[in-house]
Amino acid sequence: MIEFNDIAKSFTSGAIQTEVLKGVSFKVDNGEFVSIMAPSGTGKTTLLNVLGCLMKATSGSYLFEGYDIETLNDDQLSEIRNKKIGFVFQTFNLLEKTSALDNVLLPLVYSDIYPADASKKAAGLLEAVGLKDRIHYKPNELSGGQQQRVAIARALINDPAVILADEPTGNLDSASAKEIMEIFKSLHSQGRTIIVVTHDSGIARQAGRAIYLKDGKVEKEEVLK
Amino acid sequence: MKIMRIASVSMDAVLKHKIRTFLIVLAIMVGIATLTVIVALTQGANKKIMQQINNFGPDAIMVHSGGGKMRGPATASEADLTKKDMEDIQNIDGVKMVSPFQISLDMPIKYGNKFTTSWVFGVEPSWQEAWKRGASKGDFISDSDNEQLSKVCVIGQTAAKDLFGEVNSIGENILIENVSFRVIGILEKRGQSPIGTDFDNLILIPFTTASRRLMNQPLYITQARVIIFNPLQSNVIASRIKETLRANHHLADTEEDDFRLSTAGEITKMVKGTSQTLNIFLWLVGIISPFVGGIVLMNIMLMAVSERKHEIGLRRAVGAKKKHIIFQFLAESLVLTFVGGAFGVITGVIIAILLSLSGKPISITWQPFAVAFLFSAVIGLFFGIYPARKAAALDPAGALSQK
Repeated sequence: MIEFNDIAKSFTSGAIQTEVLKGVSFKVDNGEFVSIMAPSGTGKTTLLNVLGCLMKATSGSYLFEGYDIETLNDDQLSEIRNKKIGFVFQTFNLLEKTSALDNVLLPLVYSDIYPADASKKAAGLLEAVGLKDRIHYKPNELSGGQQQRVAIARALINDPAVILADEPTGNLDSASAKEIMEIFKSLHSQGRTIIVVTHDSGIARQAGRAIYLKDGKVEKEEVLK
Repeated sequence: MKIMRIASVSMDAVLKHKIRTFLIVLAIMVGIATLTVIVALTQGANKKIMQQINNFGPDAIMVHSGGGKMRGPATASEADLTKKDMEDIQNIDGVKMVSPFQISLDMPIKYGNKFTTSWVFGVEPSWQEAWKRGASKGDFISDSDNEQLSKVCVIGQTAAKDLFGEVNSIGENILIENVSFRVIGILEKRGQSPIGTDFDNLILIPFTTASRRLMNQPLYITQARVIIFNPLQSNVIASRIKETLRANHHLADTEEDDFRLSTAGEITKMVKGTSQTLNIFLWLVGIISPFVGGIVLMNIMLMAVSERKHEIGLRRAVGAKKKHIIFQFLAESLVLTFVGGAFGVITGVIIAILLSLSGKPISITWQPFAVAFLFSAVIGLFFGIYPARKAAALDPAGALSQK
């Protein structure tokens, strides 16, 4: 489903060119729970941005659900992100002053089809992550763990092909972190494809398979379960 | 509809950022209010000018005795127009009628123990048709009044009010320079002349009575009103009248005219000329103020874009296309300018009405509203597009990493 072939990404700042990804290759199959273990400064953010179709690679090919991502234009990439990818961020990235329900509905604003029962679906997703009685709360009225659960519900609203989580527990206490990982595991058991990018080996080891990144390259892969 | 969902995102932002919304709405409001007042004022001034031109009559040419550049009516002492002049003008092609009259300015009028001063006109019955104005009560001056040198008068409403108050004055006798005249009619109301004289402060007496009894000037005529068939020929006929009079008065080429002609066109030029400079200045202010409002809008929107980079990055991450971001911010600008415009036009109309209470001529028609709507749209689009495009041009990954 995801196929990274020799992906390289470099940034130019003035005369200085920095190569961040130096030929990354890996595959993720449908229904897998994969962690990408990347210490800080190894191109983790860049990898995530390329993987999330937020930026294009400098070279290499990226096949996602049959799409050759490197050949798509900005609008097409927006549509892929909208329909196929559910993002979960370290800092939750919820809209302030906006209810949990409306935050979950956000991706649907940009969808071509807005289901008639969208609000019901969003409320159902919030219920599924344990926020049944918090759907009208605003982010500042929710704890970090609760905010991240809103973000997970938002990631699911468009039934994406993959959930892409960037340090999803990085800003959470250990109890909340555990809850969030449980949600991912349960989503995986329902057949969802999940990729978690993290520098925390404790988190990485909870996935079915871990891909280790070092110095802009895949160092090793490890099947955990 | 996707577009409606994004528009509601814009509305949401307008409602949630209250201080920003207030500042932009205020800036646009001040600009549009200024523009509205100016539109109402200039429209009012134009309407007044048009009224005055109509009062003068587009088909009229006034012939005054005496040369020079002075405006306004000639005085009896200057009278140099003759009966022959009148007949010759009547014979010019395109002339419908000539109505000569005598004027004596500021004559002392007495009724009982009340005094006033008024213009006294010696007129023929043709005066009614020439000025499209007759007696609203009683009778007008007749041919037989002129033949018999009758001491009768038709009195204007200002003069009537000064002398009699509200009393019906027909049949009363008044003294004009110690000659007793019987009031036979009240003149229709007319208002002000283009140069601001009160057209209702006048008394009409028979032409012959004025010439012989009051002004002692049987041979000359002070003024005449010429009515032409086609108002478009006004200039051509005026120059023919000029030729005729110069010939009749035996003026050599080097001599200046000893009469003056005025046409509706000239009156228009004269009245408009004085207000033109002021109008240009007003319009400049009127256009600059919404423009300044637009600059405020652009500034605050640019700040909003840089404050909301993270939000923009998030929206892009969950699937917003560039055009959606442009639309969102442009719609925000437009909502703000239209709200500002609506408040502005209301404020402007209120100010204009207050000004009209203090006697300024104003006119409130559809124009201020159309101008306000148009300007709001133009400002919203023109000053909103740059911040919106800037927002859309943000790289999604970079914007998302901003906190």
